[in-house]
Amino acid sequence: MADDKKPRALATQAAAKIPKFVRGNMSATLKAKEEGKKVAYAYINDGQDEIMRAMDIVPAWGESFSGVCAAKRDAEQYLQKAESDNFSRSLCTYATCTLGFDMLREEMGGEMPPGAPWGGMGRPDMIIGSGQQLCDPRFKWPQATQHYLQDVPVFVGSMYYPPWDPNMDHKGQEKIYVKYATEELRACVSFCEKHIGKKMDWDKLAALVDLTDRTWDIFIDTYELRKAIPTPMDTGDAMNTMVPLTFNLGTQEAYDFYADLNLELRQKIEQKQGVADEEKYRILWGAGLPSWFALGDFQYFNSKGAVFPVETTYRNAEKVERLNLPKTNDPLEHIAWRWVRFWTHWYDKARNRPGSIPKVERIIEYIEDYKCDGVVFHSAFSCRSWHAGIVQQAEILRKIYKDIPVLIMEGDIVDISSYNEADTHNRIDAFIEALETVRSKGN
Amino acid sequence: MKQYFAGIDIGSTMTKVAIVGDTLVSSVIGPTGPEHRRLANKVMEEALNKAGLDFEDLSYVVATGYGRINVPFADKQITEITCHAKGIYSLLPTAEIIVDIGGQDSKCIKLKAGKVISFVMNDKCAAGTGRFLEVIADALGVPLEKLGELSLSAGKAAIISNTCTVFAEQEVTSQLANGEPVANLIAGIHEAIAVRIYSMANKLKISPDIAITGGGAKNIGLVRALEGKFGCQVLVPPEPLLTGAIGAAIVGKETYENAAGRGETLKRSTMGLQAASFFS
Repeated sequence: MADDKKPRALATQAAAKIPKFVRGNMSATLKAKEEGKKVAYAYINDGQDEIMRAMDIVPAWGESFSGVCAAKRDAEQYLQKAESDNFSRSLCTYATCTLGFDMLREEMGGEMPPGAPWGGMGRPDMIIGSGQQLCDPRFKWPQATQHYLQDVPVFVGSMYYPPWDPNMDHKGQEKIYVKYATEELRACVSFCEKHIGKKMDWDKLAALVDLTDRTWDIFIDTYELRKAIPTPMDTGDAMNTMVPLTFNLGTQEAYDFYADLNLELRQKIEQKQGVADEEKYRILWGAGLPSWFALGDFQYFNSKGAVFPVETTYRNAEKVERLNLPKTNDPLEHIAWRWVRFWTHWYDKARNRPGSIPKVERIIEYIEDYKCDGVVFHSAFSCRSWHAGIVQQAEILRKIYKDIPVLIMEGDIVDISSYNEADTHNRIDAFIEALETVRSKGN
Repeated sequence: MKQYFAGIDIGSTMTKVAIVGDTLVSSVIGPTGPEHRRLANKVMEEALNKAGLDFEDLSYVVATGYGRINVPFADKQITEITCHAKGIYSLLPTAEIIVDIGGQDSKCIKLKAGKVISFVMNDKCAAGTGRFLEVIADALGVPLEKLGELSLSAGKAAIISNTCTVFAEQEVTSQLANGEPVANLIAGIHEAIAVRIYSMANKLKISPDIAITGGGAKNIGLVRALEGKFGCQVLVPPEPLLTGAIGAAIVGKETYENAAGRGETLKRSTMGLQAASFFS
């Protein structure tokens, strides 16, 4: 059991608070049901966080629940349940895990399936989804869920950003995408108003949007402290400390969490406390969700003197001033601009390097800013829209940047059946030896 | 006094030992089986006997391969990727790409002057591995070691569209029933493996200096198929199974000599060579 593993001696104290956050988010859905508040199935990075918070809708995050099931190595029963209704194992296992959970709960007349990790999630009163390019199952995941929760209304909006084309200036297109995204968010507000029976408090929404801006800023300020050598925090921790940014946006608790983490990292830097006993190699986690049941692999890297001062995964924020957002008094339009610019702000850089793409530019930027010696990608088989491009990213990186050591790990996010610890550690060992080779050549 | 170094490579199928001094002194290859520790002792004993040496004559021992952590008497563990690179560099110094086709995995390693620059591995499925060939040989009723020669007599390679071992076995059985000659089927299987290996190697920058190691290198039909796919001659070391063990011994020698250069004498493992016993 992942829970039985010893905590990492050099993990941050802030990361140790995260289980409480996650439990809090899950129990909030159960408490909301008791108090008559509305619960909504929600999906990360949909730009709808502040809308839900402003309307006192309690989000139930399926991706978080599935991650908990995976970390506790308790997902198999839900995956099998979904599989029994012909959902393929090669579909997103976040989706199939929650679908299996919903199927079991409905079979039990709405009662929580016994032994549901951390008490399970409350049954939703609505499903607020968003089809977007980040995650292809989201076009159908909410409707598939509704197949089992037939009385639950579904909203699926869409939040796109302009496609990358090296020969096209995206700036003219951005306005079109922002206008579209703003209208989708407005439709989301109307849906929520209809189903909770009260109007949006626009001043409250504006205040929460501002709070999110400040949370993005302090999150980036804090994570950039990891540029220090030795780094005071690595990706092993970041896979936990991402929780407030990912699941608690628009809450003061999220902002306060990063303020505390910021203070802690500054102290560690001052005391030269690193993640590994001796920091020999700095590695970028280039892309991919981790195997939640195998987070101990980060410790394995650390035991070899390898640390991850930076990752692209879950770093879904940027200093707002760097995004150069147009001014607007419409909080929904501000959310849309923030979302679109977060993705497009690497476009110009990529256009200036022939053969590059924005995702690779981001990787190059982090390699240089954080002085990384190599890149690790994790290719999770059940997440196509993101992970299918990893091999291409690695190839482009080597071609247009330099022949930097790259390791592509293979596995899944939730489905443990594809994981082999001995093979994974063998690959890590070989990668460390390659890093050492490059180091000894003075490259 | 002359110094000797041993490398032991415990693969999923075969265990290999090489002892080197200035050159290769002795080597032994034996099946791995489930009892890694017991066999490691036994094979090392045989190699020492062949060389006329005692265990205490060894200055340093390096273990490699998937079973490397199960070698109590080793002084150091190194992955087979680095050891193959060292081994090939000593045997075929011009090679820049190594294709290693082992029992349960296959890999492509890019090297420069004997050092690993990059690598790709296939270790999640049997396609492109020795296990794949074993299954097909079994399905066709042909001894594994005969596959290579037999495939060279093929009129044409049968088209095998599946690289999944289970589906490929079904496909071979079905084509056999339709009258496809066995030689053509084996050639088709070699072709399918070569395509898979080529696409794996393509993730590295392919250079024309390619060497092959592992059990797959002993299959002449597979080597020819790879040459067809890569469009160049593929170099084969004298005993492809031994490359990793030789590389491990060389790593041991370099480690020992580098330490000596710094005025240090490396301590040997306190675990000596135990008598082989079922319970050890």
